[in-house]
Amino acid sequence: MKRRPSFSRAVFATTIVFLSMPLLVLVLYSFNESKSGSWTGFSLRWYAQLFLDSPRLWRAFGNSAIVALSSALVATVIGTLGAIAVNWYRFPLRKYLRTITFLPMILPEIIIGVSLLIFFSGIGLRLSLFTVFVAHVSFNLPFVFLLVLARLEEFDASIIEAARDLGASEAQTLVRVIIPVSMPGIVSGFLTAVTLSLEDFVITFFVTGPGATTLPLYVYSAIRFGVSPVINALSVVMIVGTIILTWSSRNVLKYIAAK
Amino acid sequence: MEARKLIDISMNLPHCALRIEDGSDSVAGPVSATGNGLPRGRALQGGIMECGGAKKKTVKGSDVVIEHVRKSFGEFKALDDVSIDIRKGEFFSLLGPSGCGKTTLLRIIAGFEAPEGGSVLLDGQSVLPLPPDARRVNTVFQNYALFPHLSVFENVAFSLRLKRAPEAIVKARVSDYLALVELQAHASKKPSQLSGGQKQRVAIARALINEPSVLLLDEPLSALDAKLRQHMLIELDSIHDKIGITFIYVTHDQQEALSVSDRIAVMNSGAVLQIGTPQEIYEAPATDFVARFIGETNLYEADVTAVSGERVDLLTAEFGAIVVTATNPPPAGSRISWTIRPEKIRIGHTEPRAARDGINVVSGVVAEPIYSGFQSKFYVDTASGAQLKVIKQHADWSDEGPELAWKDDVWLSFSAEDAYIVEVRR
Amino acid sequence: MTRLPGTAKTPGGLYAAPSLVWLSVFFLAPLAIIVAYSFLTPGALGGVEWSPTLDAYRAIANPTFGKVTVNTIIVAMGATAITMLIAIPCGYYMARSEHQNILLMLVMIPFWTNFLIRIYAWIAILGNEGFLNDLLLSLGLVDQSVRFLYNRGAVMLVLVYTYLPYAILPLYSTIDKFDFSLLEAARDLGASKMSAINRVLLPNIRGGVLTAFLFTFIPIFGAYAVPLLVGGTESYMLGNLIADELTKSRDWPLASAISMVITLVTTLGVLLLLRANGTSVLGGDDHEAAEPAGEADALGAAR
Repeated sequence: MKRRPSFSRAVFATTIVFLSMPLLVLVLYSFNESKSGSWTGFSLRWYAQLFLDSPRLWRAFGNSAIVALSSALVATVIGTLGAIAVNWYRFPLRKYLRTITFLPMILPEIIIGVSLLIFFSGIGLRLSLFTVFVAHVSFNLPFVFLLVLARLEEFDASIIEAARDLGASEAQTLVRVIIPVSMPGIVSGFLTAVTLSLEDFVITFFVTGPGATTLPLYVYSAIRFGVSPVINALSVVMIVGTIILTWSSRNVLKYIAAK
Repeated sequence: MEARKLIDISMNLPHCALRIEDGSDSVAGPVSATGNGLPRGRALQGGIMECGGAKKKTVKGSDVVIEHVRKSFGEFKALDDVSIDIRKGEFFSLLGPSGCGKTTLLRIIAGFEAPEGGSVLLDGQSVLPLPPDARRVNTVFQNYALFPHLSVFENVAFSLRLKRAPEAIVKARVSDYLALVELQAHASKKPSQLSGGQKQRVAIARALINEPSVLLLDEPLSALDAKLRQHMLIELDSIHDKIGITFIYVTHDQQEALSVSDRIAVMNSGAVLQIGTPQEIYEAPATDFVARFIGETNLYEADVTAVSGERVDLLTAEFGAIVVTATNPPPAGSRISWTIRPEKIRIGHTEPRAARDGINVVSGVVAEPIYSGFQSKFYVDTASGAQLKVIKQHADWSDEGPELAWKDDVWLSFSAEDAYIVEVRR
Repeated sequence: MTRLPGTAKTPGGLYAAPSLVWLSVFFLAPLAIIVAYSFLTPGALGGVEWSPTLDAYRAIANPTFGKVTVNTIIVAMGATAITMLIAIPCGYYMARSEHQNILLMLVMIPFWTNFLIRIYAWIAILGNEGFLNDLLLSLGLVDQSVRFLYNRGAVMLVLVYTYLPYAILPLYSTIDKFDFSLLEAARDLGASKMSAINRVLLPNIRGGVLTAFLFTFIPIFGAYAVPLLVGGTESYMLGNLIADELTKSRDWPLASAISMVITLVTTLGVLLLLRANGTSVLGGDDHEAAEPAGEADALGAAR
């Protein structure tokens, strides 16, 4: 039996209350009949408005989904190959790749957003959903890279050598050994990329163009004018969605690991 | 035909079973192309089962000729002009301390490293231009290198799957090889569910299913505990006896090398110091390093005072005048190193009977007795300040070994025949 | 760890090429452009004119920008300090707990929803018509709404809320790896409880503490959305300044120069971290990858 330190326990409990309180307030208010802060009675009207009468919100959600899935997919393919190269092969610029996959993760988002905005305007690329996609691949790629790399580092080169030794060509080794072995890292890299992309506000804010509003941008424009009960309802839907997604992706990962 | 039937029923030896099952080369396809046309029949050593009627250890596989191989990593010379002839079907060990180049040599044979010079020939054909997947050589890796995402069955089936072998063939061959390493019951398990010894056996079956003509084993037992290592060693030896191909076994453990090898190459600092049978290596080490590395020994320098035939008189700083033997004695006046193995020194409380011709007698004090049941080891300080290692096997109840205690005065003696010259300094 | 020999046949370069190209073009090149722009003269309607000058850097030192810089440092240091003070005991408690998975889930609660919605939730709580004012009014504790939002305190509160899990996770994983029997060994050798913690625990979790510090300090130092939404004019931060210079004043060199300052502070912090963790600077040996990878895991999960 481990000793329970009472001080740290109290801090932790308080912290959890602190962390969950805003969400509880959102859940509560999403069922509030009135638009103002005071509780006037239970109602589902904001949910009705969310689902039935918020076309701009759903368009933004659609944009977010498109960008998240496409940028995560591209980042996963590119990042996985990069991680395989760094972990198992010697090639020129290896150190350089390590560095430029590390930097985007540590720089504040605003730097990436601003530099991409200046870059896009410099090369004359019109801001649109495409520039958002490019920006999202750029900040997702390092995460996929490092998550796959972390997985690959559990194995040393001998399993590649074993595959070659047993008669596999380079391509067969990639398809039959390297990719299956990296699969848990690849899947968690992809899921992380989707999450990061859906979550991003700052970078998207700078590189987005007309008609390319993502969900965070929509939320931003809604809350700039104060409290909006539809956003309360949206929050609750997102919380439920996240819980379901987390739960199912955990099972997917478990399934992959067990397989 | 009679013999074949018998085999068909009872044989679970992979090479035989396969051959009999399909009756031709065609089904096995490219897999069996690694064979070299020798008759496939062979027998378990000890004659439990006979294949093809003959009760003998089959010699198969390829001979491996390594000529003047050089390899360096930056400044570090991993292999410096190494030449070794390995015979068909031999259990050949590369023995040496870590960093001696043995693993590098193995990786060159496998195709994972390219030498800077020299050649590697399999049955007279150079393999250096071939990538690892095109060599008729398979490797058992030190850390097993099992594919974590595949079951035991699929790990073993890996090579066959690459060649798109028909399902029936895959099933039959994999179960044959799993039977060879006694893992049939674990076919559907994942590598992570296996013990170290079981993983090692999967690695062996996986490497053998390709029917290589040479199997390379890179410290295959180093990750196992001592007891299991003993057991696996015996199993490896019996697998070698069953399939009869050339085994090249890399190890730093002299005990392992001595117990299973047909021949051993002792390596140090990128060079081969001696090649010979275990007995030759142990009994007649070519250099001081070999003498010290193999087993335990007492190694000293001395001057040759007289030579008559194989008998050599020495003057030692430690024990005065002693007598040793040498098949090719150096002339009087030479400075040499000589050795006597600890188990060849007799130890006792009483002085041996009057020194016979060629008996060397030394007195000393037991500085450290180490009792380990069946034997004792003694560190004995002599009057000159030298320390000799002595090992005494304990015989029956009358043996006085266990009674030899700390600080006891003891007599040591050894025959000239057991002491020999290792290196001639000048 | 051994790597395959780099012969022409091995496809390492082939596998690495897409990452190399993508990040060089869409990450490094933009960064390089910022560096260049920061030394140029602003164009009339945004953009730059190609005459080199240090004006942008001089402008950072003037009183207006100086005030913002000072405020940024105060907010970043203050919020980071508060975060660390909360995160260390939390990480310790989690590491010592038998229900680590459940506690991890609890710490991740804020991530069940979107970053912006987390900020929005605080607006809903602290706003003039928000939950807290509603509560205080109905309890009769105040006569009229209290203005909780749009000041430095609100910015720090929301920043602490946002980055607390980023600090807790690395601390937890470091403390979890710590062998607590070492503390007993220290006590056995005559150390008091406090000196055991100071001399044995802290040196061993130093890497985690630094990681947590930087994971909090760096994003807060470059914060944009939080001060924009819950801050007032006096809690303006460098991130907001960059955006304003870029979109309102259209002084791109100045925006670039401020970005350079943030980038330099960030890089310095990370070099410090790598040094303290005893790893060579970026992309050296293989073992060093494990650390940032673990951090990426935590960070990825957190974000």
